[in-house]
Amino acid sequence: MCLGIAMQVVAVDGYNARCEAKGVQREVSLFLLQEELVQPGDHVLVHVGYAIQKITAQEARSTWEALDELLALEDAQAARA
Amino acid sequence: MPISAQTWLQRLRELPLSSKTRIMNVCGGHERAIGMAGLRSALPASIELIPGPGCPVCICPEEDIYQAIQLALHERVILVAFGDMLRVPVNVPKKEVRSLEQARAAGADVRPIASPREAVKIAREQPEKSVVFFAAGFETTIAPVAGMLAEGLPFNLSVLLAGRLTWPAVAMLLASEAPGFDALIAPGHVATVMGPEEWRFVVERHHLPAAVAGFSPVSLLAATYSVLRQRLEGRVFLDNCYPEVVRPGGNPGARRQLQAVMEIVDANWRGVGIIPQSGFALKAEFAAHDARRLWPDYNDTARKRAGQMPPGCDCARVVLGKIYPNECVLYGYACTPRTPVGPCMVSDEGACRIWWSSGVREAARTQPVVSS
Ligand code: SF4
Repeated sequence: MCLGIAMQVVAVDGYNARCEAKGVQREVSLFLLQEELVQPGDHVLVHVGYAIQKITAQEARSTWEALDELLALEDAQAARA
Repeated sequence: MPISAQTWLQRLRELPLSSKTRIMNVCGGHERAIGMAGLRSALPASIELIPGPGCPVCICPEEDIYQAIQLALHERVILVAFGDMLRVPVNVPKKEVRSLEQARAAGADVRPIASPREAVKIAREQPEKSVVFFAAGFETTIAPVAGMLAEGLPFNLSVLLAGRLTWPAVAMLLASEAPGFDALIAPGHVATVMGPEEWRFVVERHHLPAAVAGFSPVSLLAATYSVLRQRLEGRVFLDNCYPEVVRPGGNPGARRQLQAVMEIVDANWRGVGIIPQSGFALKAEFAAHDARRLWPDYNDTARKRAGQMPPGCDCARVVLGKIYPNECVLYGYACTPRTPVGPCMVSDEGACRIWWSSGVREAARTQPVVSS
């Protein structure tokens, strides 16, 4: 449950942001990132619908890769089960 | 050029390890990555990776789940909760309603949600109904809940809070006679919010190596390597193997919301007991949205086994890292994800569930058996 997912900010409206990861868009709250300036194009780590940290594009890529890796392993496990 | 998992494994194998080292993680996400990547079997046999208290659903007080079920059944509220919570059983006779899922089958309005924002949306859409958000979670999840409260709730939404802090459980283990581990891998996303400094006590007070890790095999291997080297060199410190996300001080905005909305209180962990200063509670200013104050307490202290794990379930010892999941006598027999007996087999963050889905299909007495 504590797993955050990296997303790219597409649009910002107050504390609401439209964010995208892997072609899927979601509404995300920026309420916990009030100390940061978050703009379209930025990357954030999202947990239960809230951005909990601003991260760089490269960091986002590496967390996506880690997630892909994990999902592939889970698929492999599920196929074996 | 980042170092690959293969290189980390190579380095780990080259370490002059003589004695056994038990490394505890306290995050379901870590345990999942370890299980799925098969890190246990890839590491030298002298390294033991022990899943510890990393599952908030598993230690959510039985009384709180009972309370949520009763509210859903008797008060005709809309009860919303993170999906994991719906199948966790309470200790009532078989013919009674034993989980939120069963309450829903019995006609109660119980809905799984994935974000606190969904709770707000449901309450706004149905102002004629009372909505109760049963929120269990660790710091990473409770910070968004605090944000939701601070931002302002619809009048008809209240929170039944079962939030917990992770570090006090580790502090309790370390203060005990047999903590059961020699090094700690600290949870990456808890540290993202709260800051890595929370874990300094492991190093400063208990002189054990510690490293914050992310959720990739590479980050976990780097943290494993770090704590082993620290131990070998006799020079312990709190390492940060997830620096791209975990910053000093964590997320100050999130911490500010937590401080504004929550109090830290002594709190019960299912099957474990009270851990000092390990729980979140809503401050008095939020009484109008505190389900514990708004609704009658349905808990009956005379109820059999109230507060405990289900009969025969060894979840409490699994959570504390005292036994491996497959050392529970019910593992794989009476208890599988399809017919879970205890919360550790229900929750995606429960060690029993994670071990089962990463392929451990056999019960073991002492050594974990991994099917290939
Ligand atoms: S295998 Fe089932 S019964 Fe045993 S500890 Fe895990 S959840 Fe509890």
